[in-house]
Amino acid sequence: MHKLFSNKWIILSLIAPAIILFAFAILVPIIMSGYYGMTEYAGMGEPIFTGMKNYKRLFFNDPTFWKSLRNALLLGLGFVFIQHPICMIFAILVDKVSGKWEKFFRAAYFIPNVISVAVIASMWVYIFNYDFGLINNVLKWIGLENLQAEWLNPDHALGSVLFVLIWHGFGWGMLIYYAGVKGIDQELYEAAAIDGATGLRTYQYITLPLMKPVIRVNVTLAIISALKQMETVYLLTNGGPGDTTQFLANYLYLKAFRSYEYGYGNAISVIFVIVCILATVILNKIFKSTEEY
Amino acid sequence: MRKMKRVVGLFLMFTLILSITACGSKTEQKADKEADVQSEETTQETNTEDGAGTEPVTIKLFTNLPDRTTGQGFLEQQIIDKYMQENPNVTIEIEALQDEAYKTKFTAYTSSNNLPDVLSVWGQPAFIDPVINSGYLAELNEADYADYNFIPGSLAGFSKNGKIYGLPRNTDIQVVFYNKKLFADNGISVPTTMQELYDVADKFNALGIAPCSIDGKDKWPLAIMYTDFIMKLTGDNTLLPNSIGAKDLSDPNFKKAADAMNELISKDFFQKSFTASDYGASRNLFAQGKAAMFYMGSWEMSMATDEAIPEEVRNNIGAFNLPSPDGAKSKTTDLSAWNGGGYAVAEKSPVKEEAIKFLNYIYKPENWAKGAWQNGICIPAQSYEEYLTGNETEVQQTLTNLLSQATNISGTPINDCGTPTFKTTSEDLSQQFATGMIDSETFVSKLNEALQ
Repeated sequence: MHKLFSNKWIILSLIAPAIILFAFAILVPIIMSGYYGMTEYAGMGEPIFTGMKNYKRLFFNDPTFWKSLRNALLLGLGFVFIQHPICMIFAILVDKVSGKWEKFFRAAYFIPNVISVAVIASMWVYIFNYDFGLINNVLKWIGLENLQAEWLNPDHALGSVLFVLIWHGFGWGMLIYYAGVKGIDQELYEAAAIDGATGLRTYQYITLPLMKPVIRVNVTLAIISALKQMETVYLLTNGGPGDTTQFLANYLYLKAFRSYEYGYGNAISVIFVIVCILATVILNKIFKSTEEY
Repeated sequence: MRKMKRVVGLFLMFTLILSITACGSKTEQKADKEADVQSEETTQETNTEDGAGTEPVTIKLFTNLPDRTTGQGFLEQQIIDKYMQENPNVTIEIEALQDEAYKTKFTAYTSSNNLPDVLSVWGQPAFIDPVINSGYLAELNEADYADYNFIPGSLAGFSKNGKIYGLPRNTDIQVVFYNKKLFADNGISVPTTMQELYDVADKFNALGIAPCSIDGKDKWPLAIMYTDFIMKLTGDNTLLPNSIGAKDLSDPNFKKAADAMNELISKDFFQKSFTASDYGASRNLFAQGKAAMFYMGSWEMSMATDEAIPEEVRNNIGAFNLPSPDGAKSKTTDLSAWNGGGYAVAEKSPVKEEAIKFLNYIYKPENWAKGAWQNGICIPAQSYEEYLTGNETEVQQTLTNLLSQATNISGTPINDCGTPTFKTTSEDLSQQFATGMIDSETFVSKLNEALQ
């Protein structure tokens, strides 16, 4: 067996499928994107090489690009600072109820993730509707008519979209934290209890520190999914009104496939990949510096 | 333990390899199967053929009409079925997608230079110019259509340098559909001036009914509305194409038209949050009697025969031409109308001759024009006088009258006049303008900027 694995050709033949898969599914498309990003190409005819022109336009002459990047980052922050603390609290609470209710809540909180995005999006469009929507009608019913609003108009649209996205991603976040909480050895809590630790302190000194690896994975996933956000936005507002709720991936799609600016769309996608890699690297740095053990 | 690790590692690697190779062989198998099926089909076809010695042909049709059971998609399907019956050696394969998905896939096909044989196209610069310029469409012989009775000028959008590359299906008119019952019940008459239109809006708002429904989410209806205002203000259908051609929108009428549009919106003429309302939602608002009017193209005349719409609304649909703003130079009979969607044949099609034959068959007046009109689906781009039956719905009659009395016709809406980039930018701007994010001056100057 050992002899078999020390043969370099065997090793190569074993990893070759994975490498080939990676090369053709990921590496080659990225390189092609890099090339098309430097061309003027409508998706038909011949691409014309224009060097850095697309990137210049992207950085200095495209406010919508910056707006979509800002929105994606806002969503990332919303995930990390609003969604995740809530997810964690609920994970702990669900763990706490135990018994058959635990199973019920676990399933119930995950339901939004099981329903198709298309259904979720159109459901929220109706909830936000001014005349027939749930929100405005509930407000009217409890006598808070002055709080009624046109939820998808320029003033509120971004907030509404962010809310839906945070709500929709809640189940995943909670489930992963829940698994993390479940993974903590009960003996630790018992030992702490013997030492006299109670209530919140056990969470502060046992649960949170032991959840660190889970938090790390979850936050990284959240930031990446915030940057990649496309389908819900596309179905909810398609970036409108104007470009108020435009997100990076949706904008990329719009440029490449609606405006026939295939070259420009590829330039956006290259920046997109760089932003994603940067975000991952920065996150890893942050987590490394806070790692204590 | 170490041994265990190795075994697991080996197992994982093995499954990976297996999954890859298995995928490969599966697709091969599938391809084999398909080939089998095809050869079976062809043998069957040659058997059933009545001699003639014609080769079996498969024509791929790529269409933007995914609904095959009602409206235009139904008619298209009927014509296809008839054609296959008359030509047993021909099989027509259909791939149908909704407009936006259609356009996306169309780009994917062009970038791999692999377009299907017969295609849905739009005879407007924003769509067809790059396609024709890159040589993807087959040239058609204009003489073939001498007795097809296409409305004068309707082929212009599909032509370049005197050659034609496609044929239009319909004539689209932008109108205001209205619910006659809601109007009559509340003692409201059809407005003929802008002031009257504002008054109508006030009355319906006071009644808690949305005056007019519009699809503001998809943006293009807003750009069409702006075009409509330019037409209604100037009565001149050369101003827009000339200004776009010269990349100069400094003519004061562009700002005036924007002001007029702004004024109408500021009177709460449209439903609340109309920019969040998509095609289906806005149509539904009208169809369910929650909005008194619906600003849309003439193809929606099929609402009058749509069984899914409550009878009370369905039987009471009327239409009128948007009134002209005060001080306008247009006549009340000037229309915003154009010939948009149609079909073309791919230049590289391996069955080009057969595809053109099929295309010509679709457009035989007794096929598309007759079917579209007599089923109340839409207004064909061909003359349909001989197919008038006298049993038309009222809205059909109104639209026919509008068209036959038209003193001037706008042509392609502003968003479709320029490049594809101008289309998306101008539509975005129209939406920003309609929600009040930018004022009319910024709107026009940004449009002008987008042209450069």
